[in-house]
Amino acid sequence: MWRRTLTTGAAALLVPMVFGTAMAADGIRAIIVDADGALKDPEAAFWDEADPVMVSMQAQMVAKPLHGEPSVTEVSVRAAHNGHWIGLLVEWETPEPRDTIRLDDFGDQMAVQFPLDAGASPMMGHDGAAVNIVQWRAALQRDIAEGEPEIRDLYPYALVDVYPDEVLSLTDARAYTGALGLDNPVARPFDSPVLDQMAEGWGTLTVRPMQIADGWGVWKDGRWRVAVSRPMRPILEGDPDLSPGTRRAAFAVWDGNNDEVGGRKSWSGWVDVQIEE
Amino acid sequence: MPSVYNWQLGREMDYPFEGVRPKRQFAMIFDTNKCIACQTCTVACKTAWTSGRGQEYMLWNNVETKPYGYYPLGWDVNILDKHGVQDMDGPVYEGKTLFEAAPADKVVLGYTPKDEDYAFPNIGEDDCTGEMDQGAWMQMPHMQWMYYLPRICNHCTYPACLSACPRQVIYKREEDGIVLLDQNRCRGYRECVTGCPYKKVFFNPMTRVSEKCIGCYPAIENNRQTQCTITCIGKIRLQGFMATPDEAREDNPMDYIVHYAKIAKPLYPQFGLEPNTYYIPPVHVPPKYLRQMFGWGVEEAIDTYKRASEDPKLLGAMLLFGATPEIIHRFKLEAGKAVGYDDKGAELVRVPMVEPTFLRDAFDGRFNAYRTNVT
Ligand code: SF4
Ligand code: SF4
Repeated sequence: MWRRTLTTGAAALLVPMVFGTAMAADGIRAIIVDADGALKDPEAAFWDEADPVMVSMQAQMVAKPLHGEPSVTEVSVRAAHNGHWIGLLVEWETPEPRDTIRLDDFGDQMAVQFPLDAGASPMMGHDGAAVNIVQWRAALQRDIAEGEPEIRDLYPYALVDVYPDEVLSLTDARAYTGALGLDNPVARPFDSPVLDQMAEGWGTLTVRPMQIADGWGVWKDGRWRVAVSRPMRPILEGDPDLSPGTRRAAFAVWDGNNDEVGGRKSWSGWVDVQIEE
Repeated sequence: MPSVYNWQLGREMDYPFEGVRPKRQFAMIFDTNKCIACQTCTVACKTAWTSGRGQEYMLWNNVETKPYGYYPLGWDVNILDKHGVQDMDGPVYEGKTLFEAAPADKVVLGYTPKDEDYAFPNIGEDDCTGEMDQGAWMQMPHMQWMYYLPRICNHCTYPACLSACPRQVIYKREEDGIVLLDQNRCRGYRECVTGCPYKKVFFNPMTRVSEKCIGCYPAIENNRQTQCTITCIGKIRLQGFMATPDEAREDNPMDYIVHYAKIAKPLYPQFGLEPNTYYIPPVHVPPKYLRQMFGWGVEEAIDTYKRASEDPKLLGAMLLFGATPEIIHRFKLEAGKAVGYDDKGAELVRVPMVEPTFLRDAFDGRFNAYRTNVT
């Protein structure tokens, strides 16, 4: 609580930043940059060369639970590519980063969606028209940056006698590990805080067997800057084609400060992305 | 929205999915009059299923003292408060279910508990409604009272948890009606935690997904009753399969107790989930309180229960509580014994209808001593 009060107070003192921005109707331009590998460093200097485009975010009012009052109403997006990887830098304001997950703590998240079929619905595709969804999760990033939490990191006064994995063989103890033992991809990060996923409509979001997309986020002065990146040309079935030309992307943000998770999010419609030759 | 039939409410009700009943329904009966809140069931479940990391404060089975005990804190008074006053006199429920009372943006009326609500699993233990005044005397129902309420997931016919999940990660098994949560597909949205009015889905902060009572399905598949049932030292539980009233079989002890004798009642039937755990109400508690908790018919249930000795079948069915670890599918009375059978007709257990008693002389000549009154 004290943290929230302090940061809200501090946010009130901030002078709104002014950007030289274009609106989403003009489309996002993915400029060519001279950088190797995945374009996932949100603080890389090359982002300054790309024009930010403001994308307005909407309330999720289609699938229950509806979410009429999302806290993030716009994001700023820049795009860049190096001929192999395309990167999108998405920024939004939030008073405090939320990267811990407990029963009533929801971490921040951001997703970029690319259509696999031209006519796919911007709301996670639809039956027979798939989308690729690259989702960054603050909690997975914290696991990588600071190590995975123990119960006392989450609940300092938790009382524990003994865990099965301390007294049983690994095989016998596995039954007590739940989703962790099944490698449920939302439980822990593989190598990256980003999940490479596909969907064909509400409730079908599935983490793909091969994880290629990557990303990273930095929170500073009341603002998340998160870069996600994926290869431009399809390698595996289910990869979107992001080679030069006019492509499309849509965005979603979950603000942990507003208890957002799942369908409780803000989302955008399709936005054109001009990928420079 | 499809309409489904809820026999506990005696009417059709709205539910987001078509009403397909399982081939048979997992059910449990608890005799609250016999429960001593020793928590053996709680520990049995905990050691069997939830001693892992992130499950520290997770109790799929818990026993709370009513009226002031709750796990999580205030679970029933919170949802009752949101539900508001409802008209419930029977035989047809006139009020709204939680599905019918849902706000436009939700599937079911619910609330999300706070983390600290789980921090006092046994709060209110043994707390009575009040102090006894000078000159008070024993009367029924008691002037001041408390009782123990053991709770597991109700493996509801119309689960709110299942309907609230936008990913349909929770499913109800066709073969036994057990409600399970897919640990592979869950993404930790917690809509089920919010939706279940009984608060029997839990969030695991280490695995970051939700978990719930699995009805001990590996045991059920092997014809054994659940861990929390077979370890109960008070023998207050009977677990088996229960039919709807129109298909009830008189020789199924579960059906006999619920549908024929009608002494066991569902927990908060007005929520509309058709929960499949049944409670024999405590005889000493004011009926007004019990009616809210178990629906109409509690007074008759208590009356029949007190006169169980007049109905040999009821007595026989009740004697099968805690008599065998196997699931009893049929029973009959034979030569002064209640006999339980498995699904293939093999005998599982024989319980005498009358506890054998032996009378001994007060004076024991061998030791030249008077016997004290021991059993
Ligand atoms: S008691 Fe709760 S968790 Fe169990 S089936 Fe019913 S709604 Fe689901
Ligand atoms: S049925 Fe099994 S899993 Fe469910 S509360 Fe009882 S012991 Fe636990």
